Amino acid sequence: MATSSKASPSTYEYPNFYSSFFAIAAARLWLSSKNLSDTLKHEQVLSSPLTSFEQLQEGIHLFKHGIDPYAGGSFRHSPLLLSFFATLLPNSRWLASVLWTLNDLLASWILVQIFRTRQNVRQSPRDTLIAASYCLNPYIFLPSLALSTSSFENTLLLLTILLACKGKTSATLFALSFLVHLSLSTTILLPPILLLLATDSFSHLASPQPTSVKIRRLLEFFGESLLYFGVLTLVSALVAGGWEWIPQTWGATLTLPDLTPNTGVWWYFFTEMFDHFRPFFLMVFSVHLIIYVIPVCLKFQHDPLYATFILVGILGTYKSYTTLSDPGVFLSMFAVFPEIYPYLRHPIVTTLLHLHASLLMPLFNHLWLTQGTGNANFFYASTLVFACAQGAALVDAVWAGLRIAIGPPVEGYVIVQE
Amino acid sequence: MDHLSDSPPRRRSILVKFKEFFRPSGNIHEKRIRRRMRLVSQLNRRLPLIKIALFLVGYLWMLLLPAPDLGRTTYIDENALQPAQVNTEWSWADVHVADQYLAQLERVRDANYSSQQRAQWLNEEFGKLGLSSSTQSYSFTPGVSTQNGTNAYAIISAPRHSGTEAIVISASWLSRTGGGDGTLNLRGISTVLALAGFLKRHSYWGKDIVLVVSDGYLEGMQAWLGAYHGVSQAGLFAEPLKLTGGVIWTALNIDYPGHSFSHLGIFFEGLNGRLPNQDLLNSVDRISRYTGGVPVVLYDHLDPREDPSVNQPPSWLSAAIYDVPQVKSFLVQAKNIARHLRYQANGRGSGVHGLFHQFRIDAITLYAVPATGPHGFHAIGRIVESSLRTMNNLLERLHASFFFYILTGPQHFLKIGLYLPSAVLISVAIMFHGLSTWVDAGWVQETRQVAEKTASGEQETADQAIQWRRRQRPITGALCIMVATHIYGFFLLNVVSSTWFAHNHQLLSAAVFVIFSLLPLAALGIPQESRSDDAPIASILKAFNLCFTSTIISIITVINFALAASMAVLLGLPLIVSTPSPSLPLKLIKYAAYACLGLGWLIFAREETMRSLWYWEVLRVWFAPFVCIVYVPLVIQCGIACLL
Repeated sequence: MATSSKASPSTYEYPNFYSSFFAIAAARLWLSSKNLSDTLKHEQVLSSPLTSFEQLQEGIHLFKHGIDPYAGGSFRHSPLLLSFFATLLPNSRWLASVLWTLNDLLASWILVQIFRTRQNVRQSPRDTLIAASYCLNPYIFLPSLALSTSSFENTLLLLTILLACKGKTSATLFALSFLVHLSLSTTILLPPILLLLATDSFSHLASPQPTSVKIRRLLEFFGESLLYFGVLTLVSALVAGGWEWIPQTWGATLTLPDLTPNTGVWWYFFTEMFDHFRPFFLMVFSVHLIIYVIPVCLKFQHDPLYATFILVGILGTYKSYTTLSDPGVFLSMFAVFPEIYPYLRHPIVTTLLHLHASLLMPLFNHLWLTQGTGNANFFYASTLVFACAQGAALVDAVWAGLRIAIGPPVEGYVIVQE
Repeated sequence: MDHLSDSPPRRRSILVKFKEFFRPSGNIHEKRIRRRMRLVSQLNRRLPLIKIALFLVGYLWMLLLPAPDLGRTTYIDENALQPAQVNTEWSWADVHVADQYLAQLERVRDANYSSQQRAQWLNEEFGKLGLSSSTQSYSFTPGVSTQNGTNAYAIISAPRHSGTEAIVISASWLSRTGGGDGTLNLRGISTVLALAGFLKRHSYWGKDIVLVVSDGYLEGMQAWLGAYHGVSQAGLFAEPLKLTGGVIWTALNIDYPGHSFSHLGIFFEGLNGRLPNQDLLNSVDRISRYTGGVPVVLYDHLDPREDPSVNQPPSWLSAAIYDVPQVKSFLVQAKNIARHLRYQANGRGSGVHGLFHQFRIDAITLYAVPATGPHGFHAIGRIVESSLRTMNNLLERLHASFFFYILTGPQHFLKIGLYLPSAVLISVAIMFHGLSTWVDAGWVQETRQVAEKTASGEQETADQAIQWRRRQRPITGALCIMVATHIYGFFLLNVVSSTWFAHNHQLLSAAVFVIFSLLPLAALGIPQESRSDDAPIASILKAFNLCFTSTIISIITVINFALAASMAVLLGLPLIVSTPSPSLPLKLIKYAAYACLGLGWLIFAREETMRSLWYWEVLRVWFAPFVCIVYVPLVIQCGIACLL
């Protein structure tokens, strides 16, 4: 009986991935045609000053009229995005929402590819579920409907990971440099992605072995990415006609000049801060992001893709200008690691925390700014709930990723961490 | 002697225990694990008790909200307001002017003017006073009927300031008496007209004063406010305003339907459960009592403790018990709270002032409770004048989080911490039940046939026979059902808010009820779990349903407490007691009960349904969508869990 039930999935025809993917795509395109962007574009949880579509349009307008968009202090997008949108990409609202949807579909397809590469299969029954977990994740599609450029950062991030999984060195390093250009905080993904390039992407979580990567090889990769980074910087300087874009884009990530509320933990802290403490705490917050890199990379050296996943989660929680799509991509990436599901300790608690946080954040934002019956502390409290939810997901992911090596639980035995 | 010799070892043993506590010997991890297991098993054993306790405390707390010892007296939080600190200048001459306006208005009424002509007349009267004034016509076409009308308004520009802020004094053509059924608010409008001339004579206004006489009961003010704030809405044509002023901070709506009045009633609930800042209510209350000399009541509830005319015990209570002061206070406060919750739960607010709340304006209605005396234009003029002076003092919007309260009397209120936990406790109990259902779904009890006979005999095999085994809990099916029910709710909303439903809702309600109750029966076609190892969908669905319900209830509390409390009462026990049953007829009976709980309003509250839909279409009150998209699906999910 047991053997027949185990064998039964293989006898099933896989649900056709392409037809269900097409259905998801149709649903997303229908949503994008609803013209929700006008109502959503001002939602502070969906787009930050660094990713807002409205400010991008303002920058393009200034750029096209021969005014330096970086002189004003409101435009904080990368010159690379500026040049793309000013030349190639469409500017109309309708075309833009279609473009953003297509971008999400592409990202979900890349996520499916990452899973297939990791499992080393050409097709799997989970494909549809993985695509749906990205495209139908509200943390992903709402920022996309609000036309936040963080959607593009996500796609680029997933593309970098896929290229690294496939072992395409130059392409990976170029994509990574591009990603760092768009969002400086993603620098912390450099070590795990270089490790991923140097090793393979298959799941070694269950059988951890110390990696034997030559440092020299990593240094070569690092040098190459520096080269691409330098070239992109020069291109940006050419586009922007100077160097003023650096303090406006990367500088904003580090010095937090715009305190517009978002889902992260930085903004409230720095609204309350006395000015003479500001540089010190800016340093603390930035360094705090970096301190996770080495421990995570050491602990998950046998599976650098998992290390990347954990660091993506840390970025979504602790980076300076977060939107919902940053934690969203972390949660969607859970789909790539089905082997850890039995070892998650408190998935329902994490889910419920996320449910509470995702309902409380828009509600308290509304109470504070629209209805006027609440104040900033309300929204801040809800972002703290969100940070707790995100933290619970992270801790559980780390636990499950390490716990899987010990094997399935045995009655009468308990695992503890020394 | 005996216990003296005894004490040193005991003291030592305490010391040892103390030391043991901080520096335990043996394996720390083992101790910790054992401690955790003990704690978990204790918690598990007592969980039913904890749940029952939470429920009981929550429901009892709700029942005890009107207790006279709960809460405190009101106070003024914002120091700038300084209510009742000015000498009012409204005099008997102004009362005479108001009387003259009243006489003219009565002629207007008797001449049967159209609303266009009426607004024009008001416009001219404002103009004669030297005010910049204008009219605005509008037409509403929500569903079936079309409502046309014309508003008249005038603006007194702030003589002392640049006019960045404004205060509104308004009166609607129809009074709130009878819910806008045709009682005219002529004295309210006369007061506004007389105030227009009076206020213009003074130079101390730091804010624009906007005087609005809106047509109809609610529609006119909605059109005017929408145009003032540049918001357009489907189904409404509103002429743009020719004159505008500053940002409106506060508004007073005057409703004076009778010949004279005895008490000033205060109505304050806004649309979608928003409440005005309590400082506004408290200021008007003090001004009315100290400057106007008019006693204040909540709504039109006269207080039996002060008014012998209403001092009658209810039919179900004997007079002896009723005369206990505590009981009487409890009943009075319970009546106030019940009315408050009714206004708040369905999101409709309690009058014209509620419309202002959409635009973050603190507004209340001053209702002159009709009586044979003793107050009239003199008192209400003084109250409004002094209130305006108080609001004029404001340098910033009313704030200080003074927005969460339940008024139990005109000078008595409950803070957020005194009423919010009641609903939250019930929601926590639901959450605990959901989580325990989820945990239980992960285990299966099985009687294993022990093949080999153990040496120790029959007794031990019997002990081993019952075993608990972990099982998989696939969630995809349950999640799909939940999403499907919410999409179903969305369709339900589309159906009931369509025009053809509005045209013949008497006929269609029953049909819609039947169709939408039968649709979820499709769940019967879901194949029973393919692998017998997995937990049944029904228990997973029930767990998720309870967790989601609990989340909704606890989150709604901060935006609309009354709605959250009614959800807690309606859904709390019914959702928890659902159990799967083996036989099909029993399943269907249970499902039918849930369908009635969820969709019964289609049959039993047809008029209320149509009114809620009107409020949704015209005033964007989200009660109807909330019921269709959140409440109904939650109940239906529970019904489906019974079917599976």
